[in-house]
Amino acid sequence: MSKHFLALVLAVGAATSVQAGDIDGLARTCNNCHGVNGVSAGPSMPSIGGLSEAYLKNIMMEWKSGARASATMTRLIKGYSDDQIADLAKYFGSKTWAPVVQKTSADVLKKGKDVTERCETCHGDTGSKPDDELTPKLNGQWAKYLELELMKYRDDGFKMVHKKMSKNARKMDEADVATSAAFFGAQSK
Amino acid sequence: MSLNINRRDFIKAAAAASGAAVLTIPTAAHAATKAKVVVVGGGFGGATAAKYLRMMDPGIEVTLIERNKTYTSCPLSNEVISGHREIKTLERGYDGLKKHGVKVVFDEVTGIDTGKKMVKTKGGKSFGYDSLILSPGIDFAFGAVEGYSEAAAEQLPHAYKAGPQTLLLKKQLEAMPDGGKFIIAVPPGPFRCPPGPYERAAQVASYLKHHGKAKSKVLILDANDSFSKKGLFEQAWKALYGYGADGMIEWVPGAQDGKVVRVDVASKTCFTGFGEHKGDVVNIIPPHHAGKVAKDLGLATFKDKWCEVSPDSMESKGQKDIYVIGDSCVGGDLPTNNAFPKSAHMAMTQAKVAVGAIIAKVNGLPLPTPYYVNTCYSVVAPDYGFSVVHIYKVENGTWVYVKEASGVSPVTMPDKSPVPAIYRKLEAEYANGWLDNVLADAFA
Repeated sequence: MSKHFLALVLAVGAATSVQAGDIDGLARTCNNCHGVNGVSAGPSMPSIGGLSEAYLKNIMMEWKSGARASATMTRLIKGYSDDQIADLAKYFGSKTWAPVVQKTSADVLKKGKDVTERCETCHGDTGSKPDDELTPKLNGQWAKYLELELMKYRDDGFKMVHKKMSKNARKMDEADVATSAAFFGAQSK
Repeated sequence: MSLNINRRDFIKAAAAASGAAVLTIPTAAHAATKAKVVVVGGGFGGATAAKYLRMMDPGIEVTLIERNKTYTSCPLSNEVISGHREIKTLERGYDGLKKHGVKVVFDEVTGIDTGKKMVKTKGGKSFGYDSLILSPGIDFAFGAVEGYSEAAAEQLPHAYKAGPQTLLLKKQLEAMPDGGKFIIAVPPGPFRCPPGPYERAAQVASYLKHHGKAKSKVLILDANDSFSKKGLFEQAWKALYGYGADGMIEWVPGAQDGKVVRVDVASKTCFTGFGEHKGDVVNIIPPHHAGKVAKDLGLATFKDKWCEVSPDSMESKGQKDIYVIGDSCVGGDLPTNNAFPKSAHMAMTQAKVAVGAIIAKVNGLPLPTPYYVNTCYSVVAPDYGFSVVHIYKVENGTWVYVKEASGVSPVTMPDKSPVPAIYRKLEAEYANGWLDNVLADAFA
């Protein structure tokens, strides 16, 4: 037992990322837009490292089938097999969620708390505790990205899948969209 | 939200994330040097290669040789010309790479001895290597347009290497009177950033439209008969600025005598085969070829301009242990006319392929599967962007363009209805996020 454990430790210690297999190489191409370990450095691009495997796989498969619209990803994703998509979901799903905490004013936080009440049931009060595996974390996600996602859900010309999300996004006042996004962007946990 | 705050927030999160990753990535502290890699050129390709080598195998000693202390991104530099972006948002230094343990040397390469595996610099230093990555970008063939030279570029800027040239073109645009003519001369392909000249036309038109100079003209004199994202550009030009002989933007293809063969610098006149066009601002983009360092080494074997490389590894076809990445190389699915675009994103995925191959070689492992992806956004107005994506796979040692995954943003929806504005808005926003991310992936 201890010998096996030691061998494992040595193997891990000596490993370069290349050895872990093809998926690392494929995932590295995602880094260009989504950051190393899936932590995005660009406000309009989502962090993906540490979102649930089920959520990531589902959204990529919806883009691939055409069920869900995306301005860019619907094209790129067709370059990957279902197995590769599953592997990518597993890869980024296994990362630790690293909230990019964006400061906002006390006013926005207070208002945000009120106007995000409808989000709470599914995403948790700070967006860190989704109630199922298909629901994304929102805490420390880029506010700009969240704002753009809400814009998609609120637009008749953009095909989104989740009916409950569309319904709720459309109930929001226009002015509350940015406030909600800033509220979740400011949450560390 | 200011960019500085964003970056600070990001660095905090990235630090937290890398803390979590320490368990699986060996640290540099105990690693003995397994191999020496020298990287020449610190643009998107070279910086990415240097960083990823260190990140993926700290046992490799990496030296990056670069002329300039600050890098200025060409992508989105057309927005600087129009005033929609500050140039400092495009600038990065090399401290991020130093934190990864990259030895950064600000110097100029003067010679490479492939026998002794040694790089020599103007500063009188020598650097031995086991593997060499060349990412020197492009150099201009100044003689190709008669009358145009490095000195002439101070009067008629190319602005095709971002930095002072970008700011010079911006200044000239701002000084142009209403009713003036802004000429963009496009060289025969392939050139870096295939949609660049056409995005520039839109950005210049955007400036003119919003600064009381709507009677002005942007004339594109093109050596080619088509161009990247043509349908999208023409649609946007028409909708936003007016397109054609009566519009603000006019495009003259090569077949209609668009190719500029000579310029007269003093009178700002472009001569084509049969005609002449006098401009108030003249932007000459000269033809270019692989960076001098690679060309001097005899690696530019493709049409005497570009460096041929192995699809499996980006290793030069002419020289073992030398890898050529970025704008200097030629690759992709050439038989189907789908060469790699010379873009930042492409250079970065090429860098990652080269890094994977070098690490495999150093550690005696089989070559990993190479993945080639490109994404390239063009922004024609603050709320209007679109993109092209490319995916290539390698089959039996050759690149295959993955048609179903590649291509441009839609010109119309599948039912021929107009594309909802939200698509263009999203891609304009994604262009900003893309820029921040590629700069971070390469330099942070």
